[in-house]
Amino acid sequence: MSIELWVEKYRPQSLDDMVDQEEIVNRLKEFVRDKNLPHLLFVGPPGTGKTTAALCLAHDLYGEVWRDNILELNASDERGIDIIRSRIKEYARTVPLSEIPFKLIILDEADNMTGDAQQALRRTMELYSRTARFILIANYGSKIIEPIQSRCAIFRFQPLPKEHIIERLRYIAEKENVRVTEDGLEAIYEESEGDLRKAINTLQSASAIGEVVNADTVYKALGKVTPGEVREMIEAAVKGDLLSARDKLRSLMYSYGLSGVDVVKLIHREVISGRSFTDIDNYTRATLLDLVGEANYRIVEGADDEIQLNALLAKIALVFSKRS
Amino acid sequence: MSTRIIPWVEKYRPKRIDEVIGNPEAKKAFVAWLNKWMRGTPSKKALLMYGPPGIGKTSLVYAAAAQYDLELIEANASDVRTSQAIRRRIFRAVTETSLFGKRGKIILLDEVDGISPKEDRGGLQTILELIRISRFPVVLTANDPWDPKLRPLRDQCQLVEFRKIGKRDIIKVLQNICKNEKIECSYQVLSAIADNVRGDLRAAINDLQIISTGKSSISLEDLDILGYRAKQLNMFEVVRQVLTARRPETARMVLSMPSLDYEMLMLWLNENIIYQYWPSIIAIADAYDMLSRADVYLGRIKRKQYWSLLPYVLELMTVGVSSARERPPFKFVKYKFPEKLRMLSRSRNKRERMNSIIRSISKNLHMSSRKILTEVIPYLKIIGDENPSMLRKILKSMNISERSFREIFLTNA
Repeated sequence: MSIELWVEKYRPQSLDDMVDQEEIVNRLKEFVRDKNLPHLLFVGPPGTGKTTAALCLAHDLYGEVWRDNILELNASDERGIDIIRSRIKEYARTVPLSEIPFKLIILDEADNMTGDAQQALRRTMELYSRTARFILIANYGSKIIEPIQSRCAIFRFQPLPKEHIIERLRYIAEKENVRVTEDGLEAIYEESEGDLRKAINTLQSASAIGEVVNADTVYKALGKVTPGEVREMIEAAVKGDLLSARDKLRSLMYSYGLSGVDVVKLIHREVISGRSFTDIDNYTRATLLDLVGEANYRIVEGADDEIQLNALLAKIALVFSKRS
Repeated sequence: MSTRIIPWVEKYRPKRIDEVIGNPEAKKAFVAWLNKWMRGTPSKKALLMYGPPGIGKTSLVYAAAAQYDLELIEANASDVRTSQAIRRRIFRAVTETSLFGKRGKIILLDEVDGISPKEDRGGLQTILELIRISRFPVVLTANDPWDPKLRPLRDQCQLVEFRKIGKRDIIKVLQNICKNEKIECSYQVLSAIADNVRGDLRAAINDLQIISTGKSSISLEDLDILGYRAKQLNMFEVVRQVLTARRPETARMVLSMPSLDYEMLMLWLNENIIYQYWPSIIAIADAYDMLSRADVYLGRIKRKQYWSLLPYVLELMTVGVSSARERPPFKFVKYKFPEKLRMLSRSRNKRERMNSIIRSISKNLHMSSRKILTEVIPYLKIIGDENPSMLRKILKSMNISERSFREIFLTNA
């Protein structure tokens, strides 16, 4: 039974099904024909087909038994490089179940690894290069250390062009018997910023809201994607009600389960979109951006989420108390 | 001239052994040892009194000398070895009978643990020799008698331990002094002084004299000038001291507490800044700004092991936090336990269930848990709210229980 979430249900199975990233796909097909490939590094923004390309490559390379010949690891889920190394060691010890003499190790979100962890990974890659090929996936190539880059063939995935995204959405809608209007498709594309995963998720949630996917249902869905607490938290801070702002923050973090960075990014989105901060001049908006960016940096650098976010909310309150 | 010029610790020094406060067992042992001297020479000619400062070691010797009518020959232990003249004087004193008839003597060598064996080689030898030739009782005092260098000395001495003075005893002494000096002072103030000194009676008397100088009544606020004594407060008091400090030094004082848990204090400040400084947004924002900077340094320390940055953490979270540009007038606030800790423990079970659902979704969708939480769950929630049958189908296709998904993600409880 296929997964009923459309992003997964309509994920291409074979390189032949992939319509985007044409040049990259063609090179990958050559690897399949040669039954050989170097280590690969897929770089590009979210929702542009990196993971899909890796999975299609595995499928075409190994055929029916492809699942037995790949190890999917996610750098942001595995606890530390030692766990990653031991899982790779375990996996690469056995001989592949096909005529291809190596297995595939797909390491997603590799740019979330620290420099030290990447150095360790590089040694691991060398150690198992006879029995395994690595496909590293990252949003930012610059966050991958050079020794790893130099060992990999690098493929840059581009944001998908508008017509491809709309075409794909239309195809899915047709298969799912969903009526979709032009302005609905426009609205989805505008918000997706070239991220096909986001576009398909928006399509499916909008289709859950109404019979017809139009601009109305799309915006209704998009408005709900951001947890209501985010806006309530910001509104409370703007009014100077810091206690209830903190309550909202805590519900986002401790019952919703968002990390500090997730919350900062949602605040950032509100600042940029102007949904929460209506009626402010551009200078104030820039000031807010700076405050949000600083909080983001501090949390990434290892500071405490809640203290930094409380400080951010208090500073936002201060900015607005000065205006009135 | 005012009598206040005499230090009260001298003025109120006990005249008789039974006036010495506290340490009944030590007193008994000392008196027994002294009584042996009255009848002859005991097996141990010297007695080493040890224990923290300000608890009556020296006072007991003074009182005994007065009560037994003994001539007190006193020398700081360091004098014995530095000045030949003093050395001659004491050596003569311990071997000769008193000029004034048949009166006995008692020798007191204070602070023998202050001797440095490297710089003052022979210092300990001198003391040992003194004990050997003395015809009179020799009393030594030390804060820490277990220093290895004192071992030969320990073998020659009877050891008597002195302990801190209890809070009640200290308050009693202070009450007597107040009565005598005609100072009005509530029990609460005396109790605060007693807390502050942690068993050091001498410090308590000194503190009382300092804060009452030029005053006929003292209140809790006068105590602000004290506090340089390292003290152990509970978290509520530490938070109050930082958030209500009127001077940076007062806020900084909490750092001298011997076992301050500064990470815990940070959580407590994070919880209580708003309550204390409400309704001043400036005060709250400034205090949070400083706290967040302290936290940034703490993060750097933890990541890179830059422990030399610790002073910045400590100062920003105390002096910094209390230095807002404006502050609402002082009000008494009942502080709260850090909600973060409570929420984390309360929601642990829920988060574990949440993570297990997210992990099974993650396996199906080739995405990390974090991406599932931020990029998939929000859409599933919309679908669940708007179109339950669609959600049911999706969850079923991934083998996830609809009931637990709804419990975790679709109720706000």
